[in-house]
Amino acid sequence: MTPHTFYELKNAVVGIAGLGGLGSNVAVALTRLRIGKLILTDFDIIEESNLNRQNYFSDQVGQHKVEMSLENLRRINPEADLEGHKVRLTPEKIPQVFKDCHVVAECFDRADQKQMLVETVLSKMKQAVVVSVSGLAGYGRSNEIRTRRISERLILVGDTVSGTGPGVPLTAPRVGIAAYHQANAITEVLINELHTKLL
Amino acid sequence: MNAVLKINGTEKTFDDGLPPTLSALLSKLQIDAATVVAEIDGEIIERKNFAQTELKDQMGIELIRFVGGG
Repeated sequence: MTPHTFYELKNAVVGIAGLGGLGSNVAVALTRLRIGKLILTDFDIIEESNLNRQNYFSDQVGQHKVEMSLENLRRINPEADLEGHKVRLTPEKIPQVFKDCHVVAECFDRADQKQMLVETVLSKMKQAVVVSVSGLAGYGRSNEIRTRRISERLILVGDTVSGTGPGVPLTAPRVGIAAYHQANAITEVLINELHTKLL
Repeated sequence: MNAVLKINGTEKTFDDGLPPTLSALLSKLQIDAATVVAEIDGEIIERKNFAQTELKDQMGIELIRFVGGG
């Protein structure tokens, strides 16, 4: 049987800011959905310690996350429309790199970087919706991770309080729950609210 | 006179007057400005303008706080 594809997503462009535990997994979900186009950004290389939650493989350690994400996603769908940028995002670069995006996924690790991305998308870009994550560290408490609509252009995923710290590690299951909340919120906003702009 | 702000959907009364600016409010609430996105009545306020943003009675303020992890 042919899998269902959403015609509403065919022309959608989604930006992913950071390809760590959140971004590498959000990109997988959106590639499987056959989203129109993904713009992937990260400046970092893969480290051994990333493999506990990020969608990379042990033979990819030492390589750029952008390049390996492109490779992995093309193994899912060789026809996927993907654009990769090895760049450290700043308030100046964000509106340029994500210019054509309907939605931007905030997938950073550090709290101040999350703040910078969300503030920049809301203040410097006039259309894009931003889906951000705050509070995903530790394990268990699956149902405390929620998706909230903060305002017309801001959706926030997470339990809002669980930051990383000593004794509070990031784990594949709970980061994965947050990443898939994020991908699901992006899907919902594209299909229910933005599809008329995408036709 | 009592003044009221609606912060994240909950009304907060200030018996001894409103904090004059958004920066003053964040200090009072002990929130680090570097990890918060603020909206007032649906409008985004950039962090660089927190100190110049004056607060008025009945304003609706959303403070979105970020913790690390991703």
